[in-house]
Amino acid sequence: MRINLVWKEYDVLVVGSGGAGSNAAETASDMGASVLLVTKDPLSASDTKISEGIATVRGSGSEDDSENALSENLQLAGGDLPDINITSAFAKDSQKAYDKVRANGLRPKISAITNNPDPLPLPMGGHTKRRSIGHKNSGVAFGHANWNSIVKDTKIDYKEDCWLIDVITETNKDDTKSVVGALIYDAQCGEILAVVCASVVVASGGLSTIYFPKTDTMRGNTGDSYAIAARAGAELVDMEQIQFLPFCLTSPPAFEGLLGGEPVTASYLGVLRDKNKKVILDGVYLRTRAECSAAIMKAVEDGRGTKNGGAYLDMTANKRAPKSGVYFMNFLKGSLPSAYNNVRQAMSKSESQCDDLWEVRPSAHYMMGGIRVDENCRSIGGSNGLRNRGISGLFAAGQAMGGLFGANRLGSTSLTEGAVFGQRAGKSAALHAQKSVINLLNKKLFIEKAKRVHSLIGQKGHLHASKIKLTVQKKCWENLGPIRDKRRLTNTKLFIRKTKKQLKNINISNRTKWNQALIEYLELENMLDTAELMAIAALERDGSLGGHVRSDCPNISLFSKPYSTVARFFGNDAHVTRLQRKQTDFKKLIKFKFEEQKKFLGAKFLRLMPMRLKDNILEKRYKKIMNIQKSSITVQPGSVEAAIGDQKIL
Amino acid sequence: MTIKNVRDRQYLNVTIITHLDGKDIPVKFKYKKRHDREKPMALDILLQAQETSLPDLAFRYGCRARNCGVCTIDINGLPRIACRSVVRENDNLKAMSTLPVITDLVVKRDQISRQLRGKIYRNSGGNDLNVDASEDYHELTSCIECYACLHNCPMHEKNNVELNESRERYKYGNPFSLLKLQAIVLDPVSSNQQKDDAVTQAVKLGLDTCLNCPGCKCGIGIDLKGKVVDPLVNASKKIEE
Repeated sequence: MRINLVWKEYDVLVVGSGGAGSNAAETASDMGASVLLVTKDPLSASDTKISEGIATVRGSGSEDDSENALSENLQLAGGDLPDINITSAFAKDSQKAYDKVRANGLRPKISAITNNPDPLPLPMGGHTKRRSIGHKNSGVAFGHANWNSIVKDTKIDYKEDCWLIDVITETNKDDTKSVVGALIYDAQCGEILAVVCASVVVASGGLSTIYFPKTDTMRGNTGDSYAIAARAGAELVDMEQIQFLPFCLTSPPAFEGLLGGEPVTASYLGVLRDKNKKVILDGVYLRTRAECSAAIMKAVEDGRGTKNGGAYLDMTANKRAPKSGVYFMNFLKGSLPSAYNNVRQAMSKSESQCDDLWEVRPSAHYMMGGIRVDENCRSIGGSNGLRNRGISGLFAAGQAMGGLFGANRLGSTSLTEGAVFGQRAGKSAALHAQKSVINLLNKKLFIEKAKRVHSLIGQKGHLHASKIKLTVQKKCWENLGPIRDKRRLTNTKLFIRKTKKQLKNINISNRTKWNQALIEYLELENMLDTAELMAIAALERDGSLGGHVRSDCPNISLFSKPYSTVARFFGNDAHVTRLQRKQTDFKKLIKFKFEEQKKFLGAKFLRLMPMRLKDNILEKRYKKIMNIQKSSITVQPGSVEAAIGDQKIL
Repeated sequence: MTIKNVRDRQYLNVTIITHLDGKDIPVKFKYKKRHDREKPMALDILLQAQETSLPDLAFRYGCRARNCGVCTIDINGLPRIACRSVVRENDNLKAMSTLPVITDLVVKRDQISRQLRGKIYRNSGGNDLNVDASEDYHELTSCIECYACLHNCPMHEKNNVELNESRERYKYGNPFSLLKLQAIVLDPVSSNQQKDDAVTQAVKLGLDTCLNCPGCKCGIGIDLKGKVVDPLVNASKKIEE
């Protein structure tokens, strides 16, 4: 059935209204570009809004926090996969970008001593400096600032309930590709928007929904960013690298997948146990999220998993200590209040009081790979990362982009990522539009693509996209989840191929306005394209590294030559290659490894000490943390205490 | 215990009011509990309905943890955040009554934000950003924009939502738009001119309606009357003087 095609002309189209999208739209508009922002969910209802609300701002904790220091932290954590130009850009812009969010109404607590926003008392895991700033009402405060930046003046046009179908490109004489616009399904009006524009900023978030309900993120994360870009011909890096949070809830259903705790909240004596109560990982508080997730999933692999396919997080030793136990409970509640709030509601009293073990399981949280871009968020490609090998006019920011985090993301970095690269993408997009002229004869390209949508509306079939989605989610969790091997990954590839063939049998009503089946179809298609690229990238990386755990291969050593995977579509076929990355200086690597091992040994030694001895040591340590905390933040971001509105009904 | 009782414990009967082309169509749904003691949330019901008998059921949701403000629906005629609202036998699940329904439980939300387009002046303008905001300011930024506050709001009712469906933006305000304006008044970075402008905007949106109103109700418990409406009314009186 035909659906109305409505033509629009803009300089810049921004897809997504979270941290990255709102910053991109505001910056592009400030530079004089005409901007249309489209979002499928309500304005600023994004992962940014539901985050813990802690942002990395270089130099906020100490003056000697150099750009180099921050950039190096990201490099080392990311297993040398991050692009050094991108990590440097992050380090360079973090203060400036953060201040721009503040200009839109984000108000952190200001220290009376430094007259600047005060970071959390301790460096977050992997950061060598204190530089993570917390906020009252956590991500919701960012949500308001982002909302303000879009709505505040009439310069940015925006539309909610809009699903991007495809970016339209033309092939130039020299065989390069340029963006000429995009097709969008406007579900609210029941129309297809044909937006003619020279620049498209992809800022439509991640892909965790392919593991639903084993995720703690927004429903909208159906891999739209990656699928849109890949179908336009763009390259994607590190698509096997997805961050799982290890300690998420397994039941009841309404809480399944939501965050329970982080490695650090397991505190000094927390350990992971299998179903037979045997220790499978100690020194939990020093481990990365990936290490904890891998330990849990390996136990599940060996048939030692708990009832719901997870492991037990045992923090009872912390609690039992006669003197330090009290401090531990305060630490647990204070350091990650919104997660603890989930635990309190979902678990029994003895569990939430840590007198009993927590059943935990990893959940998909953040996609570290993504669209291959340079430090100015422009799509690039080829072995040298050239712009003319990317898609001219295509930009990516936030979770959609790759190259910043590589194999592991440090805490508190993603909100800053959204601001820094949202602003950079907005600037690049505006500049690109200024010097581009679009040949309107290309309308044919739009009309050609729209034909596919016409044929989808009213498609007859016996299948339902919403139900296939569930099967895909289950398969992705089992075969493309926190533990992988060659057999399962090959299986995934075949499964996706097969499922793609079934798309033509999906029943879609002939409504034009809010056609839920069409929406489900478009999202399913994006999930499949994204999962296929992930599967081939995961097959290519034949070893465990960071967020990618292969049970059939050894770990990839920090000292081996680092490479990123680069995945893309050629026509309907997915291809993958390797891209050599620059290795950190050996001396630094050795120091990094040595420090790490030293810490693990220390943790083990402490755990095995007699109770009376370690209780005294721990009491001192807790006192030290709590004392520092007293002088900085009394109400923690994301807490029930922070959401003062909540208290009356809870 | 009889067999019937056991079976009853496994199911929960609800009515989902679907909506198509301007018409409400009630559909009975039997929710199958995943264990005996499960107390499902409204969102669990909708997800299972979509998984089983209503594959194309349209509804909004986001974070499942009461943070994103997207999944608000009416349960037995009262606005509730679906992901954290326990459903009981014979409950009615329906789209919010305060906004125009598009399909099933999906309402058109964006005219609310459009109402403030160009009116929430935010610019540091070189102002010092390093000033602490008051507790009241932070209370307002805890709003998750669930729009539960539109319920029974006489100011919003003046818009006559159904009739104005095609309009670009609503003429009359609501507790949420007043909250956004009051946030400007409370923001330590705002200039006096910006604060006065915000109050004037509130008056233009129909603040006088609030004078005869006992007060509004927030979905997550913000004190809307005490922290938003009363201060705006007082400020508007001062400006008049």
